[in-house]
Amino acid sequence: MEKPSWTPIVLSGAIPREATDLLAILVMGIVALEASLATIGPPVFGSRLWLPLLVVPPTVALASVSTTTRRTKEELALFAYGGSSWQILLRYFFRGAICALIAFSPIILQGFLIPSSIPELFLPVLALLLAGGLFYSLPSLRRIRSSSFVEHYKS
Amino acid sequence: MPSVIETRSVVVEYPSIRGVLRLYDQGVSVKLDQGDFLAVLGGSGWGKSTLVNVILGLEKPIHGSVSFRDHDVTRESFVKRCSLVKTAAVFQRPTALPQMTVSQNLHLALSLAGVPRKERDERIKEALAFFGLDKIERSYPDGLSAGQRRRIDLARALAVKPELLVIDEPTGDLDGSATNLLIPLLRGLNRNQGTTIFMTTALPRQASQAKHQVHLRPPMVLTPENRMIGD
Repeated sequence: MEKPSWTPIVLSGAIPREATDLLAILVMGIVALEASLATIGPPVFGSRLWLPLLVVPPTVALASVSTTTRRTKEELALFAYGGSSWQILLRYFFRGAICALIAFSPIILQGFLIPSSIPELFLPVLALLLAGGLFYSLPSLRRIRSSSFVEHYKS
Repeated sequence: MPSVIETRSVVVEYPSIRGVLRLYDQGVSVKLDQGDFLAVLGGSGWGKSTLVNVILGLEKPIHGSVSFRDHDVTRESFVKRCSLVKTAAVFQRPTALPQMTVSQNLHLALSLAGVPRKERDERIKEALAFFGLDKIERSYPDGLSAGQRRRIDLARALAVKPELLVIDEPTGDLDGSATNLLIPLLRGLNRNQGTTIFMTTALPRQASQAKHQVHLRPPMVLTPENRMIGD
């Protein structure tokens, strides 16, 4: 008699192959790299920020992509209420920028406390906000522009 | 007076796995004047929802044109169309923001439509009461039944007091009593407030309640072979 096996279920899905898996690997990889480089020496504010900045795009993209079903419902509703694509994108751009700003607030506050030049302080913060906003809103842009988006209005 | 909507010889195509699915092979032309109530009747998969999307600017036809008050809006967005004719749409699938309560959803829709804050509460109260949603106004849409979510959409659309109401299979998820209320409501809106209504339905009995009717034909599948003959 044939015996049912549980291994195909486990093995067929054990290898990370989705975009969200890749993003998670990237985030953890950057954090690990940062941890290993931290032993080299105490950097100034600007240079301390550049490596963590690399974490922002994959992390906010991961946050945005992981709730696609809910986010699609939101986008469909906003369109139905008379919203436009750019309003929806702006909504997510701000959300992503705020996420990045809150997450990096300890480093930013530290930067304000130590004496440093204005560009040295503001340029990384600006890059942080742009990266957070842009990569949070990009998955939404991709969804809205896809030809299958309006199919969600049909049952 | 320019017509509220006019579609001329609209053709829509969907590339499918084996050939092309062509809706409205000979083109569909529809004209709605101020105060009209048009029902588009057709079977499942005949392109009723696609026609709704074409009218709202969510899908673009490969041939033909769409005009709002004599302005060609074939390539324009829904927002642009709303600026020409104040339009509210109710889709087949319920569309309420999941993280907002029923009443907050209506507030958002009215604020996007530019309804003054003072008027909003009154209109929302009226719409919620009419559709029997007043007891669940603080509930979130995801916890409600399909019929209740459908009623939220209807309440939201009607609270806006649109010039043009585009409604895709209005009684889809509604129970008998709500269905019986809805069609007379649409007729009343059309008669008393002059709201122009574009409605799709698969039910001839429902379509017969409208002033005018358009019958869609089944779509045509063009395989590479018959496409060559056709071309």
